[in-house]
Amino acid sequence: MDSLMNILTELDSSVAWEKEEALIDDRILDSFGVISLVAELEDSFSIEIEAAEMIPENFNSVEAMRKMIVKLQEK
Amino acid sequence: MGYHTSLYLFVFLPIALLAYQFTPKKMRWLTLVLSGYVFFWMISGKLVIYLIGTTIWTHYIGIWLANLKMQCKIHTIGKEKQEIEITQKQYRKKERLVLASGILLILSVLAYLKYYNFFVRNVNVLLDTADSPILLQAKTLLLPIGISFYTLQAIGYMADVYWEKISAQQHLGKIALFLGFFPQIMEGPISMYSQVTESLWEGQGITGENLSQGTVRVLWGLFKKMIIADRLYVFVSAIFNYYENYSGVIIIAAAVGYTVQLYMEFSGCMDIIIGSGKMFGVTLPENFRQPFVSRNAAEFWRRWHITLGTWFKTYIFYPVSVSKIVKKWNRFGRKKLGKYVAKVGVSAIALFPVWLCNGLWHGPRWSYIFYGMYYFVILLGGIMLEPVKDKWIKICHINEEALYYKIPQILKTWVIIFIGELFFRANGLRAGWQMFKSIFQSFEFQKLWDGTFLTFGLDKADLIVIFAGCIVVAIVGMIKERNLLGELGIKRLWLPIRWAIYYGLILTIVIFGAYGNGYQQVDMIYAGF
Amino acid sequence: MQDFKKVGKKIGKNLLFCVILIILFAEVSKILENASMKNDNLVQSRNKSIFRILREPEHTIDVIALGDSLSYSSISPMELWDRYGITSYVCAQSGQKIQETYHMLETALETQSPKLVILETNAMFRGNPGLASMKESIEEWGNHYIPIFRNHDIWKSFIIDKQYPEENYKGFAFRCAVQPYEKGEYMQKTEQKEKLPDVVITYMEKIEKLCRDNGAELLLLGTPSPVNYSYQRHNSIQEYADEKSLAYLDLNLKLEEVGIDWKTDALDEGDHLNLSGAQKVTRYLGKYLKEQYELADHREEDFNIAWKKEMEEYRQKAEKHLKEMFKK
Repeated sequence: MDSLMNILTELDSSVAWEKEEALIDDRILDSFGVISLVAELEDSFSIEIEAAEMIPENFNSVEAMRKMIVKLQEK
Repeated sequence: MGYHTSLYLFVFLPIALLAYQFTPKKMRWLTLVLSGYVFFWMISGKLVIYLIGTTIWTHYIGIWLANLKMQCKIHTIGKEKQEIEITQKQYRKKERLVLASGILLILSVLAYLKYYNFFVRNVNVLLDTADSPILLQAKTLLLPIGISFYTLQAIGYMADVYWEKISAQQHLGKIALFLGFFPQIMEGPISMYSQVTESLWEGQGITGENLSQGTVRVLWGLFKKMIIADRLYVFVSAIFNYYENYSGVIIIAAAVGYTVQLYMEFSGCMDIIIGSGKMFGVTLPENFRQPFVSRNAAEFWRRWHITLGTWFKTYIFYPVSVSKIVKKWNRFGRKKLGKYVAKVGVSAIALFPVWLCNGLWHGPRWSYIFYGMYYFVILLGGIMLEPVKDKWIKICHINEEALYYKIPQILKTWVIIFIGELFFRANGLRAGWQMFKSIFQSFEFQKLWDGTFLTFGLDKADLIVIFAGCIVVAIVGMIKERNLLGELGIKRLWLPIRWAIYYGLILTIVIFGAYGNGYQQVDMIYAGF
Repeated sequence: MQDFKKVGKKIGKNLLFCVILIILFAEVSKILENASMKNDNLVQSRNKSIFRILREPEHTIDVIALGDSLSYSSISPMELWDRYGITSYVCAQSGQKIQETYHMLETALETQSPKLVILETNAMFRGNPGLASMKESIEEWGNHYIPIFRNHDIWKSFIIDKQYPEENYKGFAFRCAVQPYEKGEYMQKTEQKEKLPDVVITYMEKIEKLCRDNGAELLLLGTPSPVNYSYQRHNSIQEYADEKSLAYLDLNLKLEEVGIDWKTDALDEGDHLNLSGAQKVTRYLGKYLKEQYELADHREEDFNIAWKKEMEEYRQKAEKHLKEMFKK
């Protein structure tokens, strides 16, 4: 899962990603950022993120993203 | 029967509250549904069948989707992985078909009732230029109140079930509640099923606490609507209806005036609606969050008509941006053209339908479509310029939080908003363009103080009251924005001060409200959308 | 027990809030009412009669006329007094709604005990259907019983000195333009009727009861107005009057007896009468009232000094106006 951190750091190195709990709600990640992120995640983890997953709860923290990735990989 | 009328505030709402309270807890939802239908019927009469029809259809589609999901699960039990995938795909296809037909039907009803005549008019223009002898016939179509709002809610529900964000509701009554809660019927807020329905269903009793909080909220809404918006209405229509006679600073005043009118009116009605909901113990989603402190257009739309923006984001923007085609393009773009181009491209593809729909949703007029496209261009421009802006900020060592940077940003956003609302309100796109152009012809600054402003149906006293009212709203907005009173809000204040504020609010509305002799009761603007 | 106390305290608090609110409303209402009573110029034209009738000496007015602009353009109390010694007051408002008619009568009865109430029948056709009239009924109820609603706009006079001065003789207004009515006969005999709005029927019953309870007779009066009257309207009022055994005088059918000449007596092409028309109607009406009702001649009584003074002023102005109207 280190690649997740890599992707995030590449997206914006000034954010302390691990510490944030409300990335979406506090607008650290805006909707365009989320879309870029989705593309990166799909490529790196060979998963498919569909519209159903596009909810704030899935992107609010690194932990939540990890959970989503694991869930989608199991599918 | 608008929410600001005596009929609603002194008759309908109290009767509904009493009926609700005297119904046994388990049946309270029914009282709410029935009050909703009575309310609808009082405004739109027989057209209430559209609402009932949509309710039944939405419920049915939800159950159908749920059944397919269930069948899929049953059929995949104990099967090989490959087989499972094939079955899942088949069911996915079926589900998609059901969802599509579900959405299509209610959307076509909306499209037919709302846009048919617009379509006919425009096709006729084309036919006419082609010298066609046949022209399409326009029809008198009656639009059920609130159709633009409940249709979106119904679509949202179907999509949520499809996405498994929520499970399908078996009880028709809950869907009826979701689509037909009377404070929401006329102009939203557009809520999601998961936000409100359960608390509506619960049927908790009316408490003094909720009742008084709701009442204060309603009063605050009346303050905005009756003291500011209904006064500005006179001024704004005087200029917009005879725009040919004015130019320069007067047009600017009209654009600013309309923006303020729309805000006070729409957010004021929202306060009344949310306050009414509160009385029943239901917390409806907020629709405004101090929009005039936004630093750019994107932020403005996160603070203005929030529930509409959220709806578009959830049900158009994200689905489009993670659709297969867009993803493909994104992948291709990122590899071949670089991240920047890919991002701009995806944003454009995903934003365009959002803003086209936003424009169209407001009604069948070219000026609304223009309004949508205007924001599309501005938001896309914002994304395109972002790297330039970031660089510039770095080079010049600008502190983004400093006032010298923040205030010009806010003012810039104001200009964007005012121009947008100018086109939004103008009687047609051509009139809007004429008005916009005339700002730059004969500006005549002196008209601000030479008494011209007193010729639009408002006297000096009215202007003073509007101004003072706006200041009060701004102060309250500032307190909310800075969260100066904390979670408790006004309850933190010492009781006598709190009461003094309430009495002041009531007396101010009663004395300074624009009602009665010499005033006109102004219908709610968004109820027309 | 603890809970009971808590609930009790809460209810007490809410009750206290409401009591203070009611006191505040009453006090502010009183202040605004007093200001309006004291200075007629603060009251908007439509509401003037409400305060003016209250300013008349108590129990001196024998005839109260209600209705819309047709009544204050065609009934002149000064002329009734001058010729017949009848004391009357026109409590009319432009576009008076039937709810307003009722509440106006309530107001007048606070200080007066008229023998006769005249209702100009045009107001009987003004009524919105269903909800709209319900809304109006609530609002007019509020305006009457919680006067702060009706007088709230007075604050403007305090801030920017906005005033509404207006000449007015016991509710009658001088209206002196001449725009002839030229479309000919408008009372074509027919059996058809125009339905009275439901709200009118409801409020007419209240008005009748109010008259009965206060010992006043009720007269329905149609004043000449080609724009507003037709035989259909006449038929439905006649039917209504018969049903309730009310007196009904429709001057639209007695134009010759009244002596209306549409070339000289129309104010605005047949909607209202002008001063000249009003004089004719009032003369006819006075004679009719004298014949039909027992109305005392008050010209020699104590309070007549004020009337006499006002009459002098009225006569001079009326003569001047008439001269100007027919200069050519």
